[in-house]
Amino acid sequence: MQATTTLAEAAPEVASAPSRFWEIIPLDNAIFEQLFTVDTAITVARVVLTAALGFIFVGLVITVLRKVVTKRMEARSGGLVVKIAQYLGFAFIAISVLDAAGVNLSALLGAAGIAGIAIGFAAQTSVSNFISGFFIVSEKTFSQGDVIDVDGTSGLVHSIDAMSVKLRTFDNRLIRIPNETLIKSNVKTITRFPIRRLNMDILVTYDTDIERARQVLLELAAAEPNALRSPEPVFMVSGFRDSGIALFFGVWFATNEWFDGNNAMHIAVKKRFDEEGIRFALPTRTVYQGKAVAAPKKPGARRAAAGGPRGNNGS
Amino acid sequence: METWKRWNLPKNEGTRVHRIGDRRICVAVDMVGDQYVLAAMALPPEASRGSRLALPSLSDKAWTRFFMDKAEDYELAPAYPPMPTCIRLKQPFSLAPGSTVEGWIFSRIEASILVNGARIASFPLATPYKTLYGSPEAGVICRYDEEEFLAAAEPLASSLHADQRFVAHPVRLRNASAEPVEVSDLCIYGEQLSIVGDEKTMQSERLLFVFSSSGVRMSLDGTTLLPLGSRVMAKPAVSGEERFIVRSFELFKNMTRI
Repeated sequence: MQATTTLAEAAPEVASAPSRFWEIIPLDNAIFEQLFTVDTAITVARVVLTAALGFIFVGLVITVLRKVVTKRMEARSGGLVVKIAQYLGFAFIAISVLDAAGVNLSALLGAAGIAGIAIGFAAQTSVSNFISGFFIVSEKTFSQGDVIDVDGTSGLVHSIDAMSVKLRTFDNRLIRIPNETLIKSNVKTITRFPIRRLNMDILVTYDTDIERARQVLLELAAAEPNALRSPEPVFMVSGFRDSGIALFFGVWFATNEWFDGNNAMHIAVKKRFDEEGIRFALPTRTVYQGKAVAAPKKPGARRAAAGGPRGNNGS
Repeated sequence: METWKRWNLPKNEGTRVHRIGDRRICVAVDMVGDQYVLAAMALPPEASRGSRLALPSLSDKAWTRFFMDKAEDYELAPAYPPMPTCIRLKQPFSLAPGSTVEGWIFSRIEASILVNGARIASFPLATPYKTLYGSPEAGVICRYDEEEFLAAAEPLASSLHADQRFVAHPVRLRNASAEPVEVSDLCIYGEQLSIVGDEKTMQSERLLFVFSSSGVRMSLDGTTLLPLGSRVMAKPAVSGEERFIVRSFELFKNMTRI
């Protein structure tokens, strides 16, 4: 009996706790009533549903797009397209969610437009680089791994990024070239085609037998294992220069063997020309040596010298 | 003497020399620890003219060296070059519109050394020159060969058929265009072909070249009847569908010379 009494006495203290909670947040609180209405619940449900459906839809689109670009586009371009689609998808979800939440989008988009103009002015260079990046990728002038030359800077394309192209030079330096600069410059893609011509400009002395020089050069090209038989080598007399006769000789090599071919051909030409007695022309000046001959005197010259100018003596 | 066969390691005989045409393939064995190392090198014809061969030491870079592991022998086998071969015909000819010509062309092989079926070295049997087949934009770098075209049912009339350094290719050339086409170069992809025959006469599967106004297409031409008693001396480097890939090339047009 005593135990029962104790419990009965303790009961009012336990029951008093909820009443304190509702003292702090009362059931008839105006804010609470405004927040947790049926309309609010519907809006929240709509937002959650929109976000969920948006993520599922965008996810599906991205997955399909990724498969398509993997098959049909190169890795760099495909990655860029997928990334743009992702950003657009997220923007689409954000707008849909805000619309579902009942936010006035026209005001928001207006503000975003003004902010966009301000940011656009501030980030003009970055935007230019970004847009130039699209042209570089779409033109397909070069791709990762190609060797290019941009205004005298040459190297291997290390990466093509949204804002710049990074080159690894042959002395192993990394050079960043903004996409805008690339669009404005003359870009030479050295490794685009399977073959490349070695152009040799040779200046020989005027006593050279040009036919013999031509024959020697063609023999050298034929003996070089890396030189291509087709297309055939090109020989041309470029013209007569101050110091000698200018010859042009072009030999085709596989692009990846051009470097070795360049060395082999130059060494072979020097060696063979020395053997054949064909001399390379150096800047020269021809000086003729002879006796000085007195100029013939005119008949009236002596008289004029003896008497001087007639008008001067007054006679 | 049979050349294309399996050979045991020359452990106690110094350097073994295989003579193929005017080339010599030298094979020797070196010991590294308790392992055998096979060393191989090819000698150019001018090096073979003297009465005595002056070979570099086995540590020289001229030798191709490889560990034999547990293998006790190596195989000397004919092989196609590692790149396509462009055969320039010594006497080019025109093919009338709609016509088909059957015949034989010949290409140079290489001597390869295989250990446990894997190719570990391959030596050209002549100085390997190169050329471009196709257009300068999209052509392919090929091994250059200049041989004759034999318009005959059998290649017996050609001395090249009995030459150990050549393999004969039966070909069918068809002009599918409305204009005559000059046939001067033919390109073959050795990786798609096998070599069958015996010690002296070797041949591949039949090839089909179809010329059109835009270019040329090359492919295997169905099944080929092989000579009786012939054996497979080299298998194709590719298998399955890759063997039947049809290669297409633009016909070479005269390019601007400067």
